Amino acid sequence: MSDHALTEEPLHFGEGGRLLGILTRPAAPPGNARKLPVFVLLSSGLLHRVGPRRLYVHLARELARMGFSTLRVDLAGVGDSPPRPGLTNNQSVTADYGEIVSVLESRLGRVSLVVGGLCSAADNAIKLAPADQRVIGMFLLDMVCFSDDRYSARAFIARHLTNRFAARAFIASYLNPARYIRALMRRIKAVSVPLRDRFKRVELPLRPDIPSREQVRAAFEAIRERDGKVLSVFTQYALHDYYNRRGQLARVVGVDGYWRFCTELFWPEAWHTFDLDAHQRRLIEAVKTWAAGYIHS
Amino acid sequence: MNEAFFFGPADQQLFGNYHAPVAGDGQVLTVICPPLFFDYMRTQLTLRRLALSLAERGQHVLRFDYRGTGDSFGELGEVTVSEWIEDVALAVREGLDISGSRKVRLVGVRAGALLACRLPVAVREFQRLVLWDPVPDGAQYLQETRRTQATMVRRHLHLSRDERRQGMLEYAGHPVSERMLDEFRSLDASAYSNVPSSKLQVVSTLPVQPFPVAGISQHVARVACNWDTDIQDPMRPQSLLLETLIVCLTMP
Repeated sequence: MSDHALTEEPLHFGEGGRLLGILTRPAAPPGNARKLPVFVLLSSGLLHRVGPRRLYVHLARELARMGFSTLRVDLAGVGDSPPRPGLTNNQSVTADYGEIVSVLESRLGRVSLVVGGLCSAADNAIKLAPADQRVIGMFLLDMVCFSDDRYSARAFIARHLTNRFAARAFIASYLNPARYIRALMRRIKAVSVPLRDRFKRVELPLRPDIPSREQVRAAFEAIRERDGKVLSVFTQYALHDYYNRRGQLARVVGVDGYWRFCTELFWPEAWHTFDLDAHQRRLIEAVKTWAAGYIHS
Repeated sequence: MNEAFFFGPADQQLFGNYHAPVAGDGQVLTVICPPLFFDYMRTQLTLRRLALSLAERGQHVLRFDYRGTGDSFGELGEVTVSEWIEDVALAVREGLDISGSRKVRLVGVRAGALLACRLPVAVREFQRLVLWDPVPDGAQYLQETRRTQATMVRRHLHLSRDERRQGMLEYAGHPVSERMLDEFRSLDASAYSNVPSSKLQVVSTLPVQPFPVAGISQHVARVACNWDTDIQDPMRPQSLLLETLIVCLTMP
């Protein structure tokens, strides 16, 4: 290998070797290597296991330098893993996950896992975590979130009052009588809508099968019960669609002791795919700091 | 059947993915030289589909990542264009060793075309080079990548002035060395003249860009790849494009 601190091995695994992942391991495993969890980085959307701007490659190698093993994997239908015909997305991911666990246990023995990744990978990690006792951590980049009671007010302020041009337009719009007629019409219409439908969860385009609020809560509770940890990072992508303040996830998940086992970061300056070098480096440092908690615990 | 592996010298390992021929005599090896930066992520699925299709038609196929890209070792800020050209040669040698083939065909995609066209004179087994939407020259490609980078930086709404300034210095989100930039600029259109015209074919998507060397057969696949606008949308394999590439790579 080109890096003396680590080794990498491509693994074809699962039925007929259909899935492809790269297993990164420290060249000289630390004394507590068997106690450290293995990171599983799930492919995100249509992006293959390398991740945007090699994010997963860099993460895996940095984690290996700390003593962690990592599998970055193409889920079925992505990268070099062919799709599973006839299965829904959830069924396919569940089947993939079973094969990921099998191959890791065959190579590394009994393992505990940190599962996660970007966007749909985070959503998948949330859905997988409750059912598997091995999962003691989740690493979630732009996971789904839900509006809390102050979300709309914050979005309103951010949209209209944070710069003078927007503020001017805002004042002008309030002097327009048509605005009040539209508001009245909306109010009349709203009376006929059942209360539960007025607070629908945010629908995210191009993101199938997002987990429900109950699934998110179940995943976080499962991790807390296993004395595990969660790292969630939200970016400008989340800011535009569904998340606008650090702590919003804590409020909507409503899990006791949230801040004891969860790290919630909000980086509105970063793009969803951490496109700038400084942002990717900052993310990797944050993950390393968070992961170091497993070494010291 | 495909097999992923690392190859090359111990301190410069490259990631490769070999597709064995499913049928046929397996006399031909095709080595796919991928594009760079944004185009690399966008084309991954299409190039995999191309490799599978060629293997089904009896060819050995090797896909690989240049050092500092994809799953290969190294960092993009530390590698040079001349090392990438060496990587093409390494991949061809590796492919020949694995397959035992005596005929090599190369596919060069976008900037990968500029790298691939440096190889043929040095390889006895070389038979054909097919270029998919080759970039006209290194300097123009760098300009195009800078424009894309500027678009990318602009869509960040909450950057500090310093972050914005730093971001504008990157290429597709990567810091690259001055040496890399100089070497890229030196790759002008004459690089394509390195390949005998009888062995060179060009596959263009819409809108068709004129190829800088006269007298080269240019095949048009009537699909749009939108290289400069859809910078982060992975491209789903498009049958018209694949068929055109396959025709160029399988004709006797």
